Amino acid sequence: MRLLQVDSLTRNFGGLTAVDDVSFEIRQGEIVGLIGPNGAGKTTVFNLISGLLDPSHGRIYLEGKEITPLKPYQKSLLGIGRTFQIVRPFDGMTVLENVMVPTLARHRDPRKARELAIGVLKDAGLEVDADANPQNLTYARRKRLEVARALATNPKLLLLDEVLAGLNSMEVSEALPLIRRIRERGVTIFMIEHIMAALMSVSDRVLVLEQGGLIAEGTPSEVTANPRVVKAYLGEEIFDAKS
Amino acid sequence: MELFIQVVVSGLLLGGVYALLSVGLTLIFGVVRIINFAHGELMMMAMYLTYWLFHVHHIDPYLSILIVAPALFLVGMGVQRFIIQPIFDSSALMKIFVTVGLFIALQNLALMLFKADFRTIQTSYSMATLDVAAISISVPRLVAFGFALGLLSGLYLLLKLTLVGKAMRAVAENRVVAQLMGIRVQRLYLITFGMGSALTGIAGALLLPFTYVFPTVGGIYTLLAFVVVVLGGLGNMAGAFLGGLFIGLVESFSGFYVSPALKEAVYFVIFILILLVRPQGLFGVGKGTEEVGLK
Amino acid sequence: MRGRIPLLVVLAGLAVLPVFYSAPYFLHMVILIFFYIALTEAWNILALCGKVSLGHAAFFGLGAYTSAILCIKKGVVPWIGLFPALLVTFIGALALAIPLLRLRGPMFTLASIAYAEVLRRVAMVWRDLTAGAEGLTIPFTPGWENLTFTTKVPYYYIFLILAGGSVYIVHRLYHSATGHHLRAIASDEEAAQALGINTNKVQLVALFWSAGITGLLGVFYTQYVYMIEPEWAFSSTLFCLQPALNGIIGGLGTIWGPVVGSILMTPLGEYLRSYLGALQQGLNFFIYGLVLIGVVMVLPGGIISPLLPLLRRLISSKASTHAPKEGL
Repeated sequence: MRLLQVDSLTRNFGGLTAVDDVSFEIRQGEIVGLIGPNGAGKTTVFNLISGLLDPSHGRIYLEGKEITPLKPYQKSLLGIGRTFQIVRPFDGMTVLENVMVPTLARHRDPRKARELAIGVLKDAGLEVDADANPQNLTYARRKRLEVARALATNPKLLLLDEVLAGLNSMEVSEALPLIRRIRERGVTIFMIEHIMAALMSVSDRVLVLEQGGLIAEGTPSEVTANPRVVKAYLGEEIFDAKS
Repeated sequence: MELFIQVVVSGLLLGGVYALLSVGLTLIFGVVRIINFAHGELMMMAMYLTYWLFHVHHIDPYLSILIVAPALFLVGMGVQRFIIQPIFDSSALMKIFVTVGLFIALQNLALMLFKADFRTIQTSYSMATLDVAAISISVPRLVAFGFALGLLSGLYLLLKLTLVGKAMRAVAENRVVAQLMGIRVQRLYLITFGMGSALTGIAGALLLPFTYVFPTVGGIYTLLAFVVVVLGGLGNMAGAFLGGLFIGLVESFSGFYVSPALKEAVYFVIFILILLVRPQGLFGVGKGTEEVGLK
Repeated sequence: MRGRIPLLVVLAGLAVLPVFYSAPYFLHMVILIFFYIALTEAWNILALCGKVSLGHAAFFGLGAYTSAILCIKKGVVPWIGLFPALLVTFIGALALAIPLLRLRGPMFTLASIAYAEVLRRVAMVWRDLTAGAEGLTIPFTPGWENLTFTTKVPYYYIFLILAGGSVYIVHRLYHSATGHHLRAIASDEEAAQALGINTNKVQLVALFWSAGITGLLGVFYTQYVYMIEPEWAFSSTLFCLQPALNGIIGGLGTIWGPVVGSILMTPLGEYLRSYLGALQQGLNFFIYGLVLIGVVMVLPGGIISPLLPLLRRLISSKASTHAPKEGL
């Protein structure tokens, strides 16, 4: 079932075309990767889908209904969750309070919101840190909080923006099963990632962006074999992914 | 018709001094990125100093600029070094409070020292006018305008041609990269704050011959400077200059055609309208405005 | 309920205090403290989402003048007059709504200052309505129906209820969804939007609570002092700076910070004003200014911040995931 459909999505900033006539779809239950060299427009695509930016042209559909003009909070309430590349926990609030922010937006009863938030923390393995200040967590755990908070929005589609960046290889290998578990719960995942091996191992499909345009689409092995993709990256990471 | 031209001329002359005050603010803002709620107090201090130099030592206000400017330069540096620098990495909220605290302290210090009286100075030429066609131009205002113009041109050249000026522009453009290029940013902040304060102080000395100083005058000038700066575009020097002239005109017109009691109200309303309708000002902003809340 | 006992004791004590000690100057001081507790809490609501208003006198003056004008010119008793006063205050708050939502930090603060300044000047000039600088006087017709009294005791109770009510409102707000969302907005508005929060709506709710309580205080305080004129009703020192000072020094964005701040600052101000003779004009605020700078540099969380962990341990229960009174 088509969960997200993006049609001719374009975004200009003055003379620069950051996203150029991009069209794709994401089916329910998939894990789809989004890769591309730096500056290719990946985060811009996320910003367009989540509503932080308005497209210059093009449309976005969620479950068949158009959501292009909606504001970020409306898209969130409809089921689009996202994490940010540079984590943005709310300071002045504990880990638990951070996760309660989205649950309180969906359940007026503070007790129910609290229970749900504690549940999310348990799933993410963060319940011991419930009363901690996010600034005191390790980087990896702060990234987990970012994901937990997005999951607390009960999303249908979760946009993960470089959620593995900055993690060491052990932390990465802990994070991948978490991502798969999230999909098993029924959340569709669209993720931007630079750590190729990890991305390729967990994705069903991969989209490749270069200079704002979609240059390839397919399974991980199809994409890594694609000469255009290899050229865009100039080699190194693709060899790692193949091995 | 002559009356209209009279009002225009009056407004423009006043606007020149306002431009000086506001360019001081926008210079500091552009480089140091701080919204200083005590900016008008610098003006007030300069005005009281000029007053004191005139009444006790009989120094002509225009001559006293030689003392007022360096004095305010030092005060500016002091504010930057002892008030702003220690909390530079704090949240924007804390920066607001610390300059508000400074504003409260300075305003009330003036109240304690000078009482609430309105003071001005009367020089031999305070009432002199130059008559051109049917227009009467007040000499102090003309002199003030001339000084302001000269100083602003000087500032322009300094920013364009000197190393210090270029460093300031670099830091205004991108603080991090400027640091990487070897610019000692903290030192530059001190110089910039000093310069901005000195310009503001000179504006005060220029204004005193034809306006009053009283302890709460600082608050009004702070708001006025911000009105000009937002109007002209935060961080935009040319905009501050044109904005100053514009506000001078607005004040002149509303003082004459509306009501003297409401002349400030008019430009405050303009301020709020600009913030709502075109927060980037009439001429577009310089950099770094997101931090202070213009989206 | 255990944690509430000290509070109930204090409230009970306050309730019977005038029975034992009713010297007018003492009562006046306590009424002033109650007034500032309420005003600072109201200001604090907006500060919760990171918006510092230095123009709250706008709301105070709008409420005060509406009620006073209706009372004097139309004979409307303030108990009824407070409804139109609230309405006018809300309309006035709407005028500040767009700057609130579009501007962050210092720019909003400037807009709020400008707003109060405009209203003060308008009140000065619009003599037909407000009698300008001459001011208006509330007729002295004692009785509960007119909200006018011969002794201070009834005012004591009124302001006690206003103070207690404000603290309660802030307490409820703080722990509600709105409270969490306001704090999230203060930290990162965009991230809050990405999580599904209608940040505009939440901030407007805060604005209306903040302005509404302030406007109400305008109505009641005018009945206490019997006189109203523009410099006072829209006073920046009394109703813009003072609550901000109390709030920051006490502890910004906390429930009890404004209480601590008001209890500390109000008598201090009165003392400085009365006992420091010739230098008095301006001395109290001069000291306030220095204290404010000091607090920002040394104790940005306010006086309450070192006390918070202690208070938390006193009141909280054992398990760490049982929310202790984190809303102090």
